[in-house]
This record gives sequence, structure tokens and C-alpha cells, in this order.
Amino acid sequence: MQKPRIGIIPGDPSGIGPELVAKLLAQDEVVEGADVLLIGDDHVFAAGAKVAGETLPLSPLDARDCDWNAAERFALHIMETIDAKDIEMAQVTKSGGASVLSTLDEALRLAQDGVIDGFMFAPFNKASMHMAGLGHDDELHYMAERLGVTEYISELNTLDGMWTSRVTSHIPLREVADVISEERVHEAVFLIDKVLRRSGLARPRISVAALNPHAGDNGNFGNEEIDILTPAVQKLAETQMAVDGPWPSDTVFLKAVAKEIDAVVTMYHDQGQIALKLLGFDRGVTVQGGLSIPVTTPAHGTAFDIAGQGIAEAGATRAAYDILCDMVTNWDKVDVA
Amino acid sequence: MTAPIALTCGEPAGIGPELAARARAELGAACQFFWIGDPRHLPAGTAYAEIAAPEDTGAVPPCTLPVLRQDFPNPAVPGQPDPANAPGVIRAIETGVALVQSGQAAALCTAPINKKALIDGAGFPYPGHTEFLAALAGVDRVVMMLASEQLRVVPATIHIPLSEVPHHLTSELLRDTIRITATDLRHRFALDHPRIAVAGLNPHAGEGGAMGQEEITWIADLIAKYDDPDLTLTGPHPADTLFHAAARARYDAAIAMYHDQALIPIKTLDFDRGVNVTLGLPFIRTSPDHGTAFDIAGKGIATPTSLIEALRMAQRMADAA
Repeated sequence: MQKPRIGIIPGDPSGIGPELVAKLLAQDEVVEGADVLLIGDDHVFAAGAKVAGETLPLSPLDARDCDWNAAERFALHIMETIDAKDIEMAQVTKSGGASVLSTLDEALRLAQDGVIDGFMFAPFNKASMHMAGLGHDDELHYMAERLGVTEYISELNTLDGMWTSRVTSHIPLREVADVISEERVHEAVFLIDKVLRRSGLARPRISVAALNPHAGDNGNFGNEEIDILTPAVQKLAETQMAVDGPWPSDTVFLKAVAKEIDAVVTMYHDQGQIALKLLGFDRGVTVQGGLSIPVTTPAHGTAFDIAGQGIAEAGATRAAYDILCDMVTNWDKVDVA
Repeated sequence: MTAPIALTCGEPAGIGPELAARARAELGAACQFFWIGDPRHLPAGTAYAEIAAPEDTGAVPPCTLPVLRQDFPNPAVPGQPDPANAPGVIRAIETGVALVQSGQAAALCTAPINKKALIDGAGFPYPGHTEFLAALAGVDRVVMMLASEQLRVVPATIHIPLSEVPHHLTSELLRDTIRITATDLRHRFALDHPRIAVAGLNPHAGEGGAMGQEEITWIADLIAKYDDPDLTLTGPHPADTLFHAAARARYDAAIAMYHDQALIPIKTLDFDRGVNVTLGLPFIRTSPDHGTAFDIAGKGIATPTSLIEALRMAQRMADAA
């Protein structure tokens, strides 16, 4: 059986990304379970290894021209995206952002060309990417455009087997209630159901969070539960999906902690993010939901406050890598029509 | 020897009386409280002793519930509030307030009431328990704090639809919330120079206006200009990174902008150990974080964890005063 072919890009060279990649690849079971292709500059990966105190044997090649997965531990698809002298640790720089966009573009092309099955990216710095010309709100929308994806896309967040998606994301709180609709709820539920099945769960158990305190308390504290959320959930429950709700959002996450459910569909950004970050601040993983290829990343950022010190924790990176491997393995087994 | 804590009976048809008996059995003399209510409402077989005044509490054996007796017209039927008993529920609260205001009780802990039962039986004119206490104490504004071993958090707005939060959240409300919280952290929690962290309203605290304007139009300014030399006030902080362990170590209380921004962290951290503390009253008041639970009342299956934590919190606050 063919191993998953996993691409890895180092993220912003000014942050902890290259260090995390070196720490990840130092784990034997990581390189044994998949064929790993690093995508980027050899000096960036080498610098990360030096910070991490690891040795990273790099054998550069062009992955399109050869049988790259014959490499002993992992292969390096060599690129030149940034001069070593232009890397300023722990700084927002245009050159760092440009390097990220170049490696990201190449990873997307390699996946589209069938050279890799999916990829993980180490943390990006959005401000650097915007300086380098990123015109989209975030990398997810950028990737969707590059891949020609026109369907619903959304970031999914996961920690220790507990998943969340959200119906609204980076919008002002005062606009949240206006955006909630049955259709949006359905899209969010369908997406997380699809992604969870693609990561190996046969029948994901999904709970929908309420919008208002105490789930509206029978209309005393808001009507969206009665008017929108309850009918939306009932329609989904009439299909074969294991979905319930709307649940008061102050206790719904405890159901996930207790493993009674796999996922919570949240109504707004902080509803899910407060719970996830509180339970595992630096261990969460973000899955780029809705793309035509599997893409994951650790949920934390470039951590400029500790970049270059060798003390970054690679737990979230490992979790992002493991989820990516699960997604690649199950991707084509699932009927997502 | 400090004075004991006064515990009101709450709705007699709910789980209040049985939890009082169980709390005494578990706490013994470690946390001295007396119960204001009708002994007929206690579960059959409860060991109790009537006291003439709060000061007699200490003389009651540890496994016996000290009861400051207040007769109600009728016995209680679990799950079925009796309108004739409604005035008694209110009177027990009034008695508790009078005792804590006179210093005979060190703190007030209240068992849950059922608002509908009080409206039906006594024309109770207040939106809730807390508003009634504020009226009895003659104060205009109180705030609700949720507190556990791991977190103290104060929601600036509470039981309103999420869509109305930005309209209710005014600079006056936020300033009052900060002031009352800071004052009571000093007086009730013995924190001479408290640290308060204020959450943002919008995701990423608005991210410079990209995801909402309230932070840049007034919240940040209010915090920066808030004038209290004995307070360290920070924010607005992105709410999603305000509640993990390292962040919690940086403040004594967080102020949240809406109900679930406060309740998600406290319930996720300490599901049944969080208690309500009312700040801004001229006395200490705590309460368990559950309702009358009519569906399980009288079955002996209600857990006293939250009431016990509420009593312990009242004791700690009384000791800090």
C-alpha cells in the first residue's frame, strides 16, 4: 500500500516554523508513516534545524522530475524564495511574506499535479503576507482561488479529537445575528461532517451551538434558536446525519470533552475559540475546510516572542501532521456527493 | 469567631432544602452556616436543630443542620410550587438580608427561587433574585461575578439576545462594571491592588477595526483613561486568548462583554464548581450556579457541589473582609 505523500512548507522564515519542521522530522515514526516532501529553501530548513538542535539531512531534488518518494527519510523539493541575509528573525517583513507565498503556490501546484496528496504549512505571518501583496483576507481564501474552489470554505479547528467549525468568522459581533441563516448552518454542518468523514470517522456526531445565552431560554433572550437553529437542526436530523442542538454554548463543549460528540458547530468566532484555546492553548490544529486537497496547519502563530530560541513546542505541528495523514488516507474513500 | 453564614431556603418545592441538608452533612463545622426555612420542608430524617439566633450556630453538633425556623403555611410538594408558600420565600430572603446587614450573619448565601411561582403567589415585582437584593439594600447597580478556584469573570451584559449586546454595552455600563468589580476585589477578596483584564467585544478584539469598531471607537480609550491608581486595568484583549492558564495568571478578574463570553470559560474550566457572587451590595452574597431543578427535586439525586462551593466562597470572602 502506498504511503501518504505529504508536502511540508516551512512557513514564515522569521518565525518558529522552520524550527518546528525540524523537530517534527526528528521523530522516527513521522518519517516512517509517510513519504515526506519538504518544499522550500534548503537554508531555511537548515536554519530551523540549527535552532532546534537537530540534524536534518537534506537531499535537494526537483520532485516533478524524479521518483522523490524513494528518498530515505524525506526529500527536499528545492526552491529559492529568499536570500539567507534577508531573513530577520522575529520581524514582520515583506521578504518573509513573499517567501511564504512562493512556497505556498508551489505546494498547491505540486498537489494539483499529483506529486503530493496534501500538505501542512508551518505558521504564516499575515502582516508579512499582506506586505508581500496578499490581497485576500486570509490564506484559506487565497488557496481556494488558486485551486478554483467555488464551494463553501471555512477554517475548522481541532484539539484532542474535538472539532469546531463556525457559521460566522472574522466579522464584527454586531453583524453575527444578521448573518445566521438555515442555509449557513447547513453549509457549516455539511462541511465539518465531510471533513470528519474524510479524516476517518464513519458517522461524526455533531452538536450545533446556540447563538443566545441559555439557548435563548424559550425566546426570552433571543429568537434565533426558535426561528432558525431548531428548524435547521431538525431538517438535518431527518437525514442520516448524527446532528443535534441547538445547545447552550456554555456547556456544549463539555460534551465534546467527555467524547459524547466529535464536533461543535459554533455561531461566531469566539464561541469556539475561547473553549479550544482554554483547553489547549498551543496544541490546536487548523484544517482548511472545503478545499479540493487536504491542508492542515498548527493553530498557533509565528510566535515572534520566542523565535530563534529553540524552545518552541512542536505538539500542534505533530497533531497537524497526523490529521493530514489521516485525511490523505481516507480522502477518496468517502462519498461526499 | 466570625459570625456564621445565612443560607436562605429558596423555593421549597425545588432542590434547595435537600441541598442544605447535604451541604451541612458534608461541610460539618468546617464552614458554619444556618438555614432559614421551615423544617417541614427538609427531607424526612434530616438531623436539624432549631436555633434562637444566628449566634447559636456554633453550639449545634457538626452533623446537625442549624435551622432558624420560619413557618410556612403549607408543606412542600417537590416539583410543584405552592402559591401560598410564595410570601414565605420572600420573607426568608428579607430575614437573611436583615441578619447580614446587622452583622449577625457574616454573609448571605441564597438557594434558587422560581420567579414564576413568586409572581403567581406574591406578585413579586423584580426581574430576579439579585434585583430584589439590590432593592432591599438600596443600591442601583450590582454586577454578577462567576468565580471558581481557577477564574473570576464578570459579564458586563447578561441575559439579553446576542444581537442586542452592542446596544446595551455603553461606556457608562462598562465603567460601572469596572468600578464595582475593582471595589469589591479590594473589599471582599483582600486584593489591595487588583488587576482587571477587559475582553474585547469583537473577534481578535476588532483587530484594529478590521472586525468591528467598538474597541477603537471607545473601549480602548475608556480603559486607557480609567483613573484609579490602585487598579491595574488592561485590555481590550482578544477573548479567545484571555482564558488559558498563562493568561489567567495575569489578572485577578476578567470582564467579559456578554454572557457566554464569561460562561464558556468558567463552565469549561470548572463545570459545577463555579458560583455566583453578587458585587456592589453592602454585604457578601453568593449563590449556587443552578436553578430549582423541579424535575429532580425530592429524589435525593441533586448534587450539592455548587451550593457547597457557594458556602465556601462566602466563608473565604467573610474571612478576607
